[in-house]
Amino acid sequence: MRPSAVIRLRVNGEEHALAVPAQRTLLEALRYDLALTGSKQGCDKGDCGACTVLARPRGAPGRGEAILSCITLAQDAQDLDIVTIEGLAGPAGLDPIQRAFADCGALQCGFCQPGMMLSARALLDKNPKPTLPQIQEALSGNLCRCTGYTQIYEAVEVAAGMRVPRQRAPVRSERAAPSDSKAQAVKEIVP
Amino acid sequence: MMTLPDLTVLRPASVAEAVEALRANPGARVLAGGTDIVPNLKYGMYDTQHLVALRGLSRELRYVREAESGDLLLGALCSIDELAGSDLVRSRLPALSDACGQIAGPQLRRMGTLGGNLCLDTRCVYINQSHFWRSALGYCLKKDGTVCHVVAGGMRCVAAASNDTAPVLLALDARVKTVSPRGEREMPLRDFYLQDGVHNTVLAPDELLTEVRVPAAASARKQAFGKLRMRNAIDFPALNLAVALDLEGESVRSVTLAVSAIAARPALIRRLEDLHGQRADVRFAEELGRRAQKQCKPLTNIGIDPAWRREILPVLVRRTVLRAVN
Amino acid sequence: MSIGSRFPKSDGAVKADGSGVYTDDIALPRMLHAKILRSPHAHARIRSIDVSAAESHPGVVATLVGAEMPAKYGVIPWTQDETALAVTKVRHVGDAVACVAALDERTADEVLRLIRVDYEVLPAVLTPEDALEHPEIKVNERAKVGNITKHVHLQFGEVDEAVASAAAVVRETYRYAGSTHTPIEPHCAVARVDADGNLTLWSSTQIPHYVHREVSRVLGLSEAKVRVIQPLLGGAFGGKSDPFALEFCVAKLAIKTGRPVKILYTREEVFYAHRGRHPMKMDLTVALDAQGRIAAVDNDILIDGGAYASFGLVTAYYAGQLLTGPYRFGTYRFDSYRMYTNKPPCGPKRGHGSVQPRFAFEVALDEAAEKLRLDPMEVRRRNFIGEFVETVNGQRITSNGFLKCLELVEQASGWKERHGKLGRGRGLGVAGSMYISGTAYPVYPNEMPQSGVLVKLDRSGRVAIFSGASDIGQGVNTLLCQIAAEEMHCDPRDVTVVAADTDLTPVDLGAYSSRVTYMLGHAAREACQKLAAKLQAAGGATFAEACQRAEAAEGVPLAATGGYRTQKLGGDYRGGTIGASPAYSFTAHVAEVSVDEETGIWKVERIWAAHDCGRALNPTLVEGQIEGSVYMGAAEAQMEEMVYDQRGLLFGPSLLDYRIPTSMDTPDLDSYIVESHDPGGPYGAKEAGEGPLHPAIPAIANAIHDACGIRIRELPFYPQRILKLLRERDSRGEERAAS
Repeated sequence: MRPSAVIRLRVNGEEHALAVPAQRTLLEALRYDLALTGSKQGCDKGDCGACTVLARPRGAPGRGEAILSCITLAQDAQDLDIVTIEGLAGPAGLDPIQRAFADCGALQCGFCQPGMMLSARALLDKNPKPTLPQIQEALSGNLCRCTGYTQIYEAVEVAAGMRVPRQRAPVRSERAAPSDSKAQAVKEIVP
Repeated sequence: MMTLPDLTVLRPASVAEAVEALRANPGARVLAGGTDIVPNLKYGMYDTQHLVALRGLSRELRYVREAESGDLLLGALCSIDELAGSDLVRSRLPALSDACGQIAGPQLRRMGTLGGNLCLDTRCVYINQSHFWRSALGYCLKKDGTVCHVVAGGMRCVAAASNDTAPVLLALDARVKTVSPRGEREMPLRDFYLQDGVHNTVLAPDELLTEVRVPAAASARKQAFGKLRMRNAIDFPALNLAVALDLEGESVRSVTLAVSAIAARPALIRRLEDLHGQRADVRFAEELGRRAQKQCKPLTNIGIDPAWRREILPVLVRRTVLRAVN
Repeated sequence: MSIGSRFPKSDGAVKADGSGVYTDDIALPRMLHAKILRSPHAHARIRSIDVSAAESHPGVVATLVGAEMPAKYGVIPWTQDETALAVTKVRHVGDAVACVAALDERTADEVLRLIRVDYEVLPAVLTPEDALEHPEIKVNERAKVGNITKHVHLQFGEVDEAVASAAAVVRETYRYAGSTHTPIEPHCAVARVDADGNLTLWSSTQIPHYVHREVSRVLGLSEAKVRVIQPLLGGAFGGKSDPFALEFCVAKLAIKTGRPVKILYTREEVFYAHRGRHPMKMDLTVALDAQGRIAAVDNDILIDGGAYASFGLVTAYYAGQLLTGPYRFGTYRFDSYRMYTNKPPCGPKRGHGSVQPRFAFEVALDEAAEKLRLDPMEVRRRNFIGEFVETVNGQRITSNGFLKCLELVEQASGWKERHGKLGRGRGLGVAGSMYISGTAYPVYPNEMPQSGVLVKLDRSGRVAIFSGASDIGQGVNTLLCQIAAEEMHCDPRDVTVVAADTDLTPVDLGAYSSRVTYMLGHAAREACQKLAAKLQAAGGATFAEACQRAEAAEGVPLAATGGYRTQKLGGDYRGGTIGASPAYSFTAHVAEVSVDEETGIWKVERIWAAHDCGRALNPTLVEGQIEGSVYMGAAEAQMEEMVYDQRGLLFGPSLLDYRIPTSMDTPDLDSYIVESHDPGGPYGAKEAGEGPLHPAIPAIANAIHDACGIRIRELPFYPQRILKLLRERDSRGEERAAS
């Protein structure tokens, strides 16, 4: 057993006492000691943002700013109020950010999204009507591999009340006539 | 996960306690924002078992103030984000504000500190890797090995200075204050760095950088920061530079140009005195670029084509200078 | 709420609130953590392994070496050339050698250093050229000849004659450097054995069925005693469609220790697992007749496969077989060598085997069109192959909305007014492509369904769908809810999907080759239609009531199955089935770039992408696939490369060194869905998960040409390469001016 000390973390408004070694990271404490597995491990060294949580000094108003829990020592989080993805929803249900991400298709594999949603939440808390460049900059520390970011921007703007989800309709392609194929005669098949 | 080694984290309540803790624990390292040291510890790059956490020193070391002289005083524990967003910094030292806004990514800017950035460990593709990777390499001059993989036969480590605040503060003639059990030191930033990739500052193992002082005159200087990186976020610089000029009308009275991400020491471009008195125009900017190119030899240390970086350095210098002037 | 609607994803809530369970979120009582010791050498014989120091370390519960699991495996039955841990040799830096299970991760990590491996270092081959030149350096013993994984040579028509009589011939070499998937979730596996010897394996895999087969076989267990479950999965893109060392190790260690065991790969290990896009050198000839029609295409392809075969057999075919649409080729030939090298193995990455040749071809087509002064849009229209036709290599194209795709991106980008007219440093480029909606090839030969679904109705009106398919984020579980609603008129929100659990769900072959929507869609539709008939006959005021009445009428619980198997497809020649698909998707992109001619730094400003997916069962999901694909293609063009040094060391196995675009590096993406209503697809649907990636790379290359008159033929399009080409262009211009 490694030597450990008791630390006190305040996560999602609740106090927790944990006995952890000094080198325990906040991400490990959240995932393995508190079973709050919503914060994800993508690279474990601060390159991807999947471990993003919100943090503010204890007692400060608001929800906090986005930080990376995989490179924060759990001990160093004792003077903070931490919000994880599990703490974003309220008694009334999902946060508008969560609702918008779900509605706009921003949740493909979903793995980067707890971090992404929290970064977005922190942005809207500070800047309720951000421009697209401001959204891109606020999310530039959260890597996504599935979406190409487009539906994510849309979700942030929807959550901010700046637009509705897109409704572009598919375009029908009419059956091609043989003359549409200007290439030389091809072997036709019977459908 | 990449688990951290067993650590003892000391939590001094004052600067004096902090430097005493550093003295009493040889090999101990400073933990400020943790954005560099924690990943490096996960990679097994340091043998240290003691960290001296500076978190408790915010009152002493986290401030942005103006001295009576008009000098700007920046505490070492200011976060990068705080400096980027500070009205005082933006209005007086726009190049510094600019540079801070381009460091890493948003979360890292909130966690990282000015002191941490100024003391940022040098970087090289051969050292910033896991222990496994480095053992497969056979290690290198900077740690556990005897060979430099960047300079054949090289006897001195050429890992690159990769901090963005350094070139700006060098160009603005900043001074730094340090504290150790032996007392306080104060020096120009240009004397703070060494051409040694293993340890590129003059800090003793039990010495802490506490404050940056930017002379009042800096605010009057035309200044700009330029950064080249492969992505527009997260990445360390592939090249960075800062220029500061004193203009008299349209003529250059003096110019300082710093370029970094080359080798271990952020470089101040030398022998620019003969340019004083020239018009601050495109020709002047191009000439500065040529001189910078002559004096800077990019290496393979950061894994980005050095020949290309050398070729475009004058272009980046020219553009940054013109931005400063206009 | 059903087919064609933007129904919100059925797993949206659990992904939004953080309660969704991915494999690393699983923690079982008394669970051990295991770590894998990896080879520091690119090529070495293992003389001996001594785990005794590790075994006797307090906190270590068990160790594992290759000799305990010597059976070879591999996702393709004909090329099973891997072992869970190295037995006699290691074949790349990072190859798995031994494994340790301990009480915690840190202990497992530390203890790895106590394992003594005596290596005899061997010479290594690190390029396919070296691999060809040195057959005596045998990377992988499975290769019959030298280091050749697979050689394919196929010819259709008199290619040389067609080239000789052509009006415009382009003969160039195009290179693709190799990239990897970097899903944000690293591989993870957990295994547990119960007191009756039943093994359960949770794994972040996109092929639970193949993992089920291979783990059972390698461990010497009856498949009936092994259960594979795929939890929520954090991205795959083809990087999780092989069985991997960690799966075998946790299973074996769970048996050895009697305790649950977990392995979570570090990000570095994900790079060693790799299975990414093969580096390719393509010597390509494209010949046009005087009317701009494609008379001949001839491609010599040298493929760098890494240390194991993975899907390489298929890659060697796909590299040629998937190029023969949307344009008609008069004649066609390709010759591909897939080589073994001492590097992490390549495999399938989104657009497996075809992204590289598509890049080469679409650029060469532009180059050939330029010789005839043909507009790039026009040359593509002129060569449109049509619908319900056969390609030169015997593939059967059904619906084909390519012309509509071209039309949409042409209009949206203002092509006519802007191409060639944006001034120096700014340009537009176009490219097209075609992709398979699954193939007829079931990886291991059998006559069973390739996709199966079981649907059960409860008296409450709740529908349960049991599906073996892997939802890897693309949303197939959501589609099942929509299909149920479409056929049976239930509420799609009252559908439970039980997915990817080999004990509970029918077999689906896995999420690869874009097969799932097409095949699973058919299977689900079949099952739901059977039940719909019963419900209709029973009648009722509500869906629940109909369920009760139908159950009463049946006298047994209401359930039905559906399955799908492709018919025999493809040309009547060896390899003819590989690349043969029941339906093909079509895509067109226009990219707009700006180039800074002083530095070579360029930027993709915008990409317009139109994709014919037959029918968008859920437009939001399809748009997500289009945009994610386009982003990934642009990423490969900009910045992704697996770079190795002369030791076979990767520079560098992290998300900092291997760059993928942040939000500030990704172009504006404008996506359009085209529906050509395929008569064979479920509701007319075809694939959307891989096709939309292909044109991004060549569209960007062609746009760079429009912007500054240079042809970049090597990926990635690093600024230094662009700058070099600009300098060459300028000196050519000076020469011409001087002469």
